[in-house]
Amino acid sequence: MDVIRDVLDHQLVDRNQKKMGRVDGIVVELRDGQPPRLTYIEVGMPALARRLHPRFEHWIAALQSKWGARRGETFRIPWSQVSDFGIGGVDVVVDLEAEATPALAWEKWLREQIISRIPGASS
Amino acid sequence: MKKILQIALGILTSIGGFLDVGAIATSAEAGSMFGFHLLWALILGTICVIFLVEMAGRIAAVSKHTLMDAVREHFGFRFQFILLCAEIGIDFLVLASEIGGICIALQLVTGVDFQWWALPVAFCIWLLIWKGTFGLIENGVAFLGLVSLVFVIATFKLHPSLTKLGAGLLPTLPQQDTAHYLFIAVSILGAVISPYLFYFYSSGGREDKWDEGYIGVNRGVAAVGMSFGSVVSLCVLIVAALVLQPKGIQVDSYQQAALMLTQPLGYWGFLLFAATLGIACLGAALEICLDTAYIVSQVFGWNWGASVRPKEAARFSLVYTVFVFLASLLMVIGLDPLKLTLFSMALTAVILPLEIFPFLILMNDERYVGKYRNGWISNSVVIFTIALAFVLAIFSIPLELIAGG
Repeated sequence: MDVIRDVLDHQLVDRNQKKMGRVDGIVVELRDGQPPRLTYIEVGMPALARRLHPRFEHWIAALQSKWGARRGETFRIPWSQVSDFGIGGVDVVVDLEAEATPALAWEKWLREQIISRIPGASS
Repeated sequence: MKKILQIALGILTSIGGFLDVGAIATSAEAGSMFGFHLLWALILGTICVIFLVEMAGRIAAVSKHTLMDAVREHFGFRFQFILLCAEIGIDFLVLASEIGGICIALQLVTGVDFQWWALPVAFCIWLLIWKGTFGLIENGVAFLGLVSLVFVIATFKLHPSLTKLGAGLLPTLPQQDTAHYLFIAVSILGAVISPYLFYFYSSGGREDKWDEGYIGVNRGVAAVGMSFGSVVSLCVLIVAALVLQPKGIQVDSYQQAALMLTQPLGYWGFLLFAATLGIACLGAALEICLDTAYIVSQVFGWNWGASVRPKEAARFSLVYTVFVFLASLLMVIGLDPLKLTLFSMALTAVILPLEIFPFLILMNDERYVGKYRNGWISNSVVIFTIALAFVLAIFSIPLELIAGG
């Protein structure tokens, strides 16, 4: 497996194939005397912003924790919960329930506070 | 049988997708100012867009990825962020132009100034996407779009000289107004090769769940559909050249363009021009709104789909909702719709290399398209056309701005 090619930036779906974002970052643990180990995949705007410029990460995180869903931190998924990943362009599947994770916090906030208040949102 | 029906529907849809405010405005302007001399730009653009649309459908069918999905995976977020900003910017200007086109059509028919129509029009576009499904939007607009065939009828009634038409197929530089001639050539290329079309088309392929069995359907739809769309644009140019140019009418507003059908068809011609403009722009406006929501959602991995209920794709729905109302504000403040259109089309030509370069790399990558990789002909045609459009744009846009556009 090539982590950058086959995992980073790929579509992330939960165990029911529900879209829950993309693999925005990968966390690797460096250990003395042992090979590095993959620990987490990261999902969320702050992780993405960091890839443009490290300072943006703090701005986005601060913005996100003050407004709306008030959830600023990047969501980290332990590598052990990755159940399938995408050689040949298949989605990265994690053994989670998307709705129950912070990955959809903003989706849920927008749905409840804005979208479902507009007539016709559920038909 | 089902496949034949799909090809037929797809072709109808592509006519709608091809013909928009940009195609009508640039063709009318070209015909009224330069006669048949810019036919070559329209033909060249059409050949290029046939190849590109076919590729956008092929990548969706073979790799099960939309174009934007594949770009993020292959090129990473940094590059894609630049691409996304450029595409949203262009979509914004073009959507405002399309809304302007609908408003002008309504102004032509009712006499009420176009600025007043901008917000109601934005609301109708939003409502169609909010309540409609992908199929309804696509097919409904496609059938209504058949009204644009009025330009083909008008062309036959005017009996254009075939030798003069043939001469227009060879690129020539005019004696005067060279800068404006090149600017319009660039605008035509930008109008025909609209980037939103590729993102939209590949997303549509995923919405309709295409697989490798659709390679043939895709090829047929791209070639025949885009050619039909192009025929209508050609006819707009020919009618403008035969009716407006001899009278010395240069199209510097849509009101003047509307006169081009009154000579062959009388008062009905005026109404049918307004109907064609309104419907073509409505179809394109729907596609651009959806396209913007598609690409933003795909970049960030959100749930998306025109047939999904808004509640199930809240962020996707929010994007097109905000976008359509913001774009309509450009018309509310009274920007000139025709000038905005020509400018947006020329600007499109500038960013084309940025949009098309990653696209071509993916289309030659076995990991995405397997044995259905591009051949050398499609690669060469696309690279040549995009390079030409870019070089012309870099030279002609500053000249046009200096001349006071």
